[in-house]
Amino acid sequence: MRALVLPILIPLTTAIVLLLAPKQPRLQRRIALAGSVMLLASALALFRQVDANGIQVLNLGDWPAPFGITLVADLLSAMLAVAVGVVAVAIAGSAFAGVDPRRETYGYHPLVQILLMGVSGAFLTGDFFNLYVWFEVMLVASFVLMALHRNRAQVEAAFKYVTINLIASSIFLTALGLLYGVAGSLNMAELALIWPSVRSTGLDMVLAALFVVAFSIKAGLFPLFFWLPASYHTPPAVVGALFAGLLTKVGVYVLLRIFTLLFQDAPPALFTLLLAMSVATMVVGLVAAQSEPDFRRILSFNLVGHIGYTTASLSVLTPAALAGAIFYVLHHIVVITNLFIVSAVLLRLRRTTEMRALGGLYLQQPVFAALAMVPIFALAGLPPLSGFVGKLAILEATFASGAYWVGGIVLLVGLLTLLSMGRAWADGFWRPPAGEVDVATPGRPLLFVIGGLSLVTVAISVWAGPLFDLTLRAAQQLLRRDDYIQAVLRGVP
Amino acid sequence: MIALVVPSLFVVALLFGWVVGRYPGTARALAVWPAILTAVLAIEFASVLTAGSRIVEVGWAPTLGLSLSFHLDGLGLLFALLITSIGTLVVLYASEYLAGHPQAGRFYASLFAFMGAMLGVALSDNILTLFVFWELTGFTSFLLIGFEHERDAARSAALQALIVTGAGGLALLAAGVLLFDVSGTTSLSLMAASGGSVAAHPLYAAIASLVLLAAFTKSAQVPFHFWLPNAMAAPTPVSAYLHSATMVKAGIYLVARMTPILGATALWTTAVTSVGVATMLLGAYRSVQETDLKLILAYSTVSALGLMMMLLGIGSTDAIAAVLVYLVAHAGYKGALFLIAGAIDHESGVRDVTLLRGLRHAMPITAVAGGIAALSMAGVPLTLGFIAKDGAYEALLHGGEWLRWLLFLTVAASMLLGSAGLLAGWLPFRGAPLQPEADEPRWQLWMPALTLAFAGLLIGVAPGLLNAPLSSAAASILNTPSPLALAVWHGLSPALMLSVLTLLGAGLTYAKRDAIRKWSWRPAHGTERIYTGTVAVLDGTSRFIAPLLHSASLRSYVMVIVATTLAVGGAALVTAPRLRTFIPETTVRLHEVLVVIVIIVGALGAAFAKSTMAAVLSLGVVGYGVATTFLIYGAPDLAMTQFSVETLTVLIYVLVFRHFRNFGALSPPLVRVRDAFMAVGIGTFIGGLVLLVSRTETAPLLREYFAEFGPTLGHGRNIVNVILVDFRGFDTMGEITVLATAAIGVRALMHMSAPLPAGLDSPEAQPSTSPMFRAASRFLLPLLLLFSVFLLLRGHNEPGGGFVGGLVAAAAFALYQVAHGVARARRALLINPLQLIGAGLLIALVSGVPATLLGHPFMTAQWAIGKIPIGTPAVFDIGVFLVVAGVVLMMVFSLAEEP
Amino acid sequence: MELLLALASGILYAAGIYLMLRRRLAQLIIGLGLLSNGTNLLIFTAGGLTRGHPPVVPEGADALVPPYADPVPQALVLTAIVIGFGLLAFLLVLAHRVHATVGTDDVDELGRER
Repeated sequence: MRALVLPILIPLTTAIVLLLAPKQPRLQRRIALAGSVMLLASALALFRQVDANGIQVLNLGDWPAPFGITLVADLLSAMLAVAVGVVAVAIAGSAFAGVDPRRETYGYHPLVQILLMGVSGAFLTGDFFNLYVWFEVMLVASFVLMALHRNRAQVEAAFKYVTINLIASSIFLTALGLLYGVAGSLNMAELALIWPSVRSTGLDMVLAALFVVAFSIKAGLFPLFFWLPASYHTPPAVVGALFAGLLTKVGVYVLLRIFTLLFQDAPPALFTLLLAMSVATMVVGLVAAQSEPDFRRILSFNLVGHIGYTTASLSVLTPAALAGAIFYVLHHIVVITNLFIVSAVLLRLRRTTEMRALGGLYLQQPVFAALAMVPIFALAGLPPLSGFVGKLAILEATFASGAYWVGGIVLLVGLLTLLSMGRAWADGFWRPPAGEVDVATPGRPLLFVIGGLSLVTVAISVWAGPLFDLTLRAAQQLLRRDDYIQAVLRGVP
Repeated sequence: MIALVVPSLFVVALLFGWVVGRYPGTARALAVWPAILTAVLAIEFASVLTAGSRIVEVGWAPTLGLSLSFHLDGLGLLFALLITSIGTLVVLYASEYLAGHPQAGRFYASLFAFMGAMLGVALSDNILTLFVFWELTGFTSFLLIGFEHERDAARSAALQALIVTGAGGLALLAAGVLLFDVSGTTSLSLMAASGGSVAAHPLYAAIASLVLLAAFTKSAQVPFHFWLPNAMAAPTPVSAYLHSATMVKAGIYLVARMTPILGATALWTTAVTSVGVATMLLGAYRSVQETDLKLILAYSTVSALGLMMMLLGIGSTDAIAAVLVYLVAHAGYKGALFLIAGAIDHESGVRDVTLLRGLRHAMPITAVAGGIAALSMAGVPLTLGFIAKDGAYEALLHGGEWLRWLLFLTVAASMLLGSAGLLAGWLPFRGAPLQPEADEPRWQLWMPALTLAFAGLLIGVAPGLLNAPLSSAAASILNTPSPLALAVWHGLSPALMLSVLTLLGAGLTYAKRDAIRKWSWRPAHGTERIYTGTVAVLDGTSRFIAPLLHSASLRSYVMVIVATTLAVGGAALVTAPRLRTFIPETTVRLHEVLVVIVIIVGALGAAFAKSTMAAVLSLGVVGYGVATTFLIYGAPDLAMTQFSVETLTVLIYVLVFRHFRNFGALSPPLVRVRDAFMAVGIGTFIGGLVLLVSRTETAPLLREYFAEFGPTLGHGRNIVNVILVDFRGFDTMGEITVLATAAIGVRALMHMSAPLPAGLDSPEAQPSTSPMFRAASRFLLPLLLLFSVFLLLRGHNEPGGGFVGGLVAAAAFALYQVAHGVARARRALLINPLQLIGAGLLIALVSGVPATLLGHPFMTAQWAIGKIPIGTPAVFDIGVFLVVAGVVLMMVFSLAEEP
Repeated sequence: MELLLALASGILYAAGIYLMLRRRLAQLIIGLGLLSNGTNLLIFTAGGLTRGHPPVVPEGADALVPPYADPVPQALVLTAIVIGFGLLAFLLVLAHRVHATVGTDDVDELGRER
């Protein structure tokens, strides 16, 4: 399917246009929005194709797999590509409420597009080295977005962020080099096919270990996750929304892909490792979130903790568990992006997201408060919103496979999230302000975006049935390796 | 149609909330909706009584077991009618109580949403959906308790209720999922029909415990009862509706509903009964110690809930009948008393029972309501409260030995409760007036209470009215038809004696109220400590670990990553089954050894260097060593690129680090030893892996393909270049994007925080003073550019290519810049490096497009075959060339312009 | 010969990690540079070493005749070198900014809660 490359090329084109176009803010924002809408449209078209006709494949340069680079879209990739589109439109829309002029001059909009390109590429590629390239594209764009700083805290956080991610990339690259040395190919389907021969060299688990470490850093799993709460609260909130919504999910996606494609038959120790790390992530993340004095830091710890849900479910590896994990990822992308944009509004209103400067928003900004209620309590898992459905799916899957204590942790962490969000609501919106008053309006474009994303959350809840069935199909597709291998290597057009 | 009842309330909530916000006067009219619903439900109940129960279903997410299914049977409809009828009265009451309140709209929105959620709990047949509504009642209760959110007490009480009932709710969810697993369905009616099969399952104890946890938290049973008195921070309509008549009864409802599924086991009976008894006693005891009207009523509600729970635990037919009557009676008199308390508060501003007297003069109608309600609570004959107590005593009399003890305790508690009722409904109105300024409230504030009180009286006189509905409800619980025969007069039974005794005791306690209040023992801390203690521990732990996570030094993070990699990777390596390698015949040449020694020396030099420059130079040595290695092992393109990149890198290092101080030893020796240990560990690990891997035969699949098809289909003899621009061109596309982005970043960093370039006077911008150098550079520039183009064009067939070409082109201009200064170099370039980059990206992108126009995948090479084949890969390589040149120049110029 | 290069890679990784654990910004970045070189060497070596014989088809010939160096790791390493260069250059300039803003090059001072 030739259009498979569009979700990657559209943001690239948009970025080039933005680089060459005049630097007037209004023009840049409009081009960025147009490009993002087109990205979403191409992703939706891709999804429809995959939904109707199964796994879609594109051999770039017309070189057959595994010799060239192949793009592969199964249901999971297609759904994630749509999620990228949704986030892209949200971020582009938020820009209309205003972007720091210096950032805008020095390439804010093309950088966002390049980041989107990298993420789309990572979701759609069928080649491991190509995955590395798209990771680097995505990361370098995030580096620069982080580094466009105004104050000391931001530049310090940027430095930490960049360094840790560079180390993770080195580990990834090391694993890739070793993998090629052992297997002689980097095409995912080919590797899945010849994996038994890799296993016979005895090095498969070492490679698995390296991959897991590298992507656990990117996904934000314990004990490799500190870079996230150390840095995500510093860039402009909308940039934070982009990062929180997409970047960690790429790490989770790769874990999903390698575990189902390559490591399905791995010894249980690998799954136990992943499970242990996930559980630790969930608990540590949510405990740490309780005492944070800044709203975005609270969000960062919640973000980290909830990633643990998806990887814990992944480690169970039944179709129901994978479906729950995928569902949760989709829900989480929407909700956490929304919450960071909520924090963007808080920044506008009070110039800071520190809890002690918030308060009284329920009275002063009723519309904003009503809209913000949706993502805040969706994250907490309040039924019937999407967070509840995702948790239910994971709970059912873990109980059904006998992993009761995992389910118990899921519920406990859910309660901690409820406490965290309940306090955020009580302190941020209900408590009388400590003398602060709003310094500006919330920004209509931001309210629109929050409303839009909240609507998506509600829609996910209402159409939970069909959506879960979809994720179940995606999960079953993931577990049927042979279908993937067949589609890529036998050349389905 | 009936399925719309529940969702309608949510829609209505938003609608009414907005309407009242705009038009405050319409609040009173809102009561119409729940009134209509009451009628609808009553009709439905009538039909159920004749035709039997039915189930209505709307799908939601069947794979997950979620569906909006409603079971319209006696038990559910009984609760539903209570909810809507009392709801109607409360809405009416609230319209006056909150008249003029600016957030009244939000109040009604939350209230109606609550009503919908509560109805959902009562009517839901699907246990998971029941959980949904259960949590929604908790959430709406949170919003309502925190209605006066500017008060600290309101906020903390709201949060406390949310968390305590939320925890119970999650237990319910777990139980629901387990039941789904065990019984294969989420339908409560189906589960009930299958009888005791769940009780026999190994997971029974877990499921039962979880369900009971949910019920106990929601219905404020010991030890979770503390949230209910605190919830009195809510406006009184909320206290009357949620926290006495409806929401707190949800736990009772749950236990009742689950009785056919989980009940009649020793675990169930013991747990429910004992918790119920404890709660009954504690609540009654505390209720007579309080002076705040609402707190008296709150604790008495706790006690009543405990009593009802105890009866459910006993589970006999008599007990079930009793609990149902008690349910209705309690809703009536307690609701009325709360509403009256609110009216008193509204009119006089006082809620303290020691300060209220003689209000019957000012509020006669309210006084009547209060009196009747108090009588019902005390259990005076001809009230519904009497029938309820009578039934309870009957149930306790006809059972086993152990029930005698419960009987004794119940009588004691009922005495106290009766006294409490008198305190709330009788005391404020009698005697000489202390509040002369109080007035009869408007009818909306006394009519609901009066209605409830009279209802209690009416049904108390003719309790047979309840026979049919309660029988139906009892049948749902007991799973067998259980006809009730309620009557005022059963003859001179022991139960009647006990009721009389209770009245006497109540009167006595009431008379001695001041003494009791003064002398009775109060515990210093309640079970609330469980909650506050847990939260405190949680917060303490959080304060300890959070800083570790987000403010530790970067080095700690690196250390953790290194340690984890070593641990996990090492474990995998050590436990690998057998590592298969072959040792090939190898000879080692001298120059190879020398190059490796150079690399190693460079690495160690960099690690232990004392000055920054020395370290940088060592790094350069390493880079050159690696480049030479590439050359030795047949990678000329690689060697060229590495040489140029390393030179550039060292240059940038020098430019940046010239401001940095020299290294001192900052870390203590022990730390350095530890770090060295880690480092050596990693080095060994990696070295070992490389050795293992390099000695396994790499599958020749890819290289053979490229070797064969590179020259033929790729039209190029330099296979590496063909791979880069054709076979794996998409990688290169990403790679130049990375370069471009990095350059944008460098430019932004240099310009964003620094003032604009100082112009020709800045030291780096100073042109080199040697005239010969300047002349030479003018000559070298076009020469080097030509060379770079040459490299570009030959790249497809010989070592060279876009990268190296671009680097050389950039070097040409960099040289010119050193000689003539940045400004002149920029002018010589003619265009902005940024535009160069953009053009390069565009060309690279566009080179892949012709293929798509001809129906091929993106980036398929299109060739014009002549004597010299020319194709799109060449265009792509030109794009790469431009991007590389632009990127390097952008970096070099930006760094040179820095003051 | 693999042994030599494995040794070199290992030492580069070790030296790189050691430097990254030091307290000066400059050392950290140089460490990353060493690590990057080590990784490139690793990829190159792991793919199998062949002396001489670059993967360039001789003039007039139609295909490569073994023995020849595997072109695939070479292409991968080349891409990695270029990407690494871009990232390292950026990191250097960022470090420069950090130094200018924070005033010290002690890594432990970064992000310390004040």
